[in-house]
Amino acid sequence: MCMPASWRSRIFRGSRSATNELLSLVNFDTGTVVDTLKVRDAKDVEEVVRAAIANEQPLEIIGHGGKRGIGHAMATNAVLDVSALNAVTSYEPNELIVTLQAGAPLADVLALIDAKNQQFAFEPVNTAPLLGTPVSGTIGGMIAAGLAGPRRIRAGGARDHLLGAHAVSGFGDSFKTGGRVVKNVTGYDLCKLLAGSWGTLSVMTEVTLKVMPKPEAERTLLLRGLDDAVANKAMTAALGSPFDVSGAAHLPKSAFRARTDGLGDIVGQGEALTLLRLEGITASAAHRAGSLRELLAPFGTATLIEDAASAALWAAIRDVLPFAAGGALGAWPVWRIVCPPASGAALGTQLARETGGDLIYDWGGGLIWAALPPKPDAHAPVVRARANAVGGHATLIRAAEEVRRDVDVFHPQAPGIAALSERVRASFDPKTILNRGRLTRSAG
Amino acid sequence: MAIMMPASDQAVLARRAEIIAALRAIVPGEGVIDTPAEMRAYESDGLTAYRQPPMVVVLPDTTEQVSLILKYCAAQGIKVVPRGSGTSLSGGALPLEDGVLLGLGKFKRIREIDFDNRVVVTEPGVTNLAISQAVAHAGFYYAPDPSSQIACSIGGNVAENSGGVHCLKYGMTTNNVLGCEIVLMSGEILRIGGKSAENAGYDLMGVITGSEGLLGVITEITVRILQKPETARALMVGFAQVEAAGECVARIIGAGIIPGGMEMMDKPAIHAAEAFVHAGYPLDVEALLIIELDGPKIEVDELITRVEAIANACGSTTCQISTSEAERNLFWAGRKAAFPAVGRISPDYLCMDGTIPRGALPKALARIRELSEKYQLGCANVFHAGDGNLHPLILYDANKPGEIERAEAFGADILRACVEFGGVLTGEHGVGIEKRDLMPDMFSEIDLNQQQRLKCAFDAQGLLNPGKVFPTLHRCAELGRMHVHAGKLAFPDIPRF
Repeated sequence: MCMPASWRSRIFRGSRSATNELLSLVNFDTGTVVDTLKVRDAKDVEEVVRAAIANEQPLEIIGHGGKRGIGHAMATNAVLDVSALNAVTSYEPNELIVTLQAGAPLADVLALIDAKNQQFAFEPVNTAPLLGTPVSGTIGGMIAAGLAGPRRIRAGGARDHLLGAHAVSGFGDSFKTGGRVVKNVTGYDLCKLLAGSWGTLSVMTEVTLKVMPKPEAERTLLLRGLDDAVANKAMTAALGSPFDVSGAAHLPKSAFRARTDGLGDIVGQGEALTLLRLEGITASAAHRAGSLRELLAPFGTATLIEDAASAALWAAIRDVLPFAAGGALGAWPVWRIVCPPASGAALGTQLARETGGDLIYDWGGGLIWAALPPKPDAHAPVVRARANAVGGHATLIRAAEEVRRDVDVFHPQAPGIAALSERVRASFDPKTILNRGRLTRSAG
Repeated sequence: MAIMMPASDQAVLARRAEIIAALRAIVPGEGVIDTPAEMRAYESDGLTAYRQPPMVVVLPDTTEQVSLILKYCAAQGIKVVPRGSGTSLSGGALPLEDGVLLGLGKFKRIREIDFDNRVVVTEPGVTNLAISQAVAHAGFYYAPDPSSQIACSIGGNVAENSGGVHCLKYGMTTNNVLGCEIVLMSGEILRIGGKSAENAGYDLMGVITGSEGLLGVITEITVRILQKPETARALMVGFAQVEAAGECVARIIGAGIIPGGMEMMDKPAIHAAEAFVHAGYPLDVEALLIIELDGPKIEVDELITRVEAIANACGSTTCQISTSEAERNLFWAGRKAAFPAVGRISPDYLCMDGTIPRGALPKALARIRELSEKYQLGCANVFHAGDGNLHPLILYDANKPGEIERAEAFGADILRACVEFGGVLTGEHGVGIEKRDLMPDMFSEIDLNQQQRLKCAFDAQGLLNPGKVFPTLHRCAELGRMHVHAGKLAFPDIPRF
């Protein structure tokens, strides 16, 4: 879509925008020149969105732009860049909260809270290795994508840790929702909608997130050589135990065709690996590891991996390193399938058999990362059919742009839910100014 | 009690007999209640200061009936108020004179227990506690535990996003529900989520949870269940100053310890509770903390030692540690009975529910003391101290002229103070009608308009539970109107709607 010739000047005519940095950049995805508006504060965002409404000019919202490859190509070449809204508004370790501008770099924020021995308990996925981008992104991107790591099963996702937000809607108005306390039922919880909305509802400008203490110790039990079905049973047994398992993943043997960075020595003979994590105070983690090992005896003798080695392992699973863009399967499309955990293995083995793909199971079977051999449709019909059969859903996280042109990246929904979702979206952004076309092919 | 509800629709009231007949055609037999005597049981919820008999009560027992009722009411422009067990403390289920009260009490069946996926699929009328009881034989439970869990329904829990003592560690309702079947005001039946950890698309389940019956009527819920912790022990720690107790709470959290529960009571609450249940509470302290640690025994024992050391360092004057389940339960008995205990020392009380940042606790208590002087009314305070959720109980006598008004003004000032200190109007009881008119103290008109636009996406006619949560009702067309910002709209002369 072409930018109206007047676009630039309209932005500059705004009362505050004379000092906006209006940058021309090359869009490396398409090779075309786009206009990027780098805003400094929420007022700038309001102004740009209002001007966009007036011109019926959609905007693509980016932080560092690391996740631009997820979703459909957006029906615009005007980019609203919030990366300069990067301040830490406040960090109160004793309150277990941090308030950040949406453009704050995730890596910096993780370092900040790590210095106080705290973390985002939902283990946000760093998509950079998987997508082959250089940056781990911003806090706003982390929430908008809502991709949670292995601890999702115990601590919830981004949606469970977003306590409050300031955002600019597609009406061009700044609004707030939620608050700066954990326990809050005042008004509708719009935070839930913002998390995982891929920037289609509002432009977040400031968010308050819950932080949690880092566990003192972690222990991982490793079982070798289980097939997917048996591994699923072992994970189900572990998650149904009172031992407070905070990670349950299975890497079938085939996953190691690919790059195994981060998995270190444990890959060993290339057998399948089933991993179960226990965290907490040292005595407790060690004790529970012992109890869980007994419980899992019917599945084999588990070996123990401790602390730093264990952490590296879970980071590799969180960031899906076996399917990294720089690895042997870097050219394969990657699906993220979420399903009832006990259905994981049946879904996965069938999918692998039908496509010749490789899988990684997380969340006790409830999350499957599937790297499938390249194909123009990325095997979408079979992936979606298998996911639907168990009440799950699948997102095409990584695929070439020409594939994404023809395949629904996000899971098609039942008509009633799709219609309600569209009404919800329009209640925030009636003119579809924000990230138009990212979620659905038809809307573009 | 002066609270303005939406004006009654006289045309609807004039057609009452016809409406009752139509509802009887959908729900035969005793499912439609229309006599004043029988409707009395439904005229208020847990916020008993407000009473209003509904036009008619209907108690469907299938999703299809719910759908037909809503479809009929939508077509006829009749307001509907959903109700679970009626234990709301904020008036969320207060009937409307010209409204149908839709009770979900007959949805009492647990539909499926799935231990492998660690979920229970239940109808909304099942009580919170009944879910835990249904899975207890396998060592599981449903974590959120509002104090009313014997009576409150899981559907009501979803509507209010209920919390409880243990939500510090295990989350509120919203963190423990995965999916639902919901009927929109149009009668459309939708299924959202299910047994997966997260849903596709926008998190509709997340925004429905805590929507106080304004977005839809839930007819089925899928909740997560957890394995019960191996053991639990509690400490009961007394302090000569409230500030020291607040500091103790902050240091425990700061040390990276998240207790299963961490409750605080002030002196009036301690005395009332002790007189009622004789739990052995120290009577010479200004603040009492009950701190429960749960998990494997080895962990609990270790954390008890750590917490005890922190309490000592904060200048605790008494510290008892439970050595048996009986003792732990005794520690809790006083706290759990705090509300009825206060009921014994005062003819009436108002239970407030604000949240503040933990660090503002001493400041908030000082303010409450000042306000207590100003309004000449006593106040006993119990808190979910771990997450800053205050429950001041304002003591008054409804038979004394002017006291209820003073008590309500006192309560409103406490909630305004919560917002002033960086907190919120309600931590777990909901806005309902009780805090409705305070919403502008926390949210701007723009904030509230965005919320009400969302309501329009679910219920464009505004027929479902109107008069709750929002102080001003707007027509959806008005809310959807695009602002014209200083003439910036291109072609401003072209009509856009």
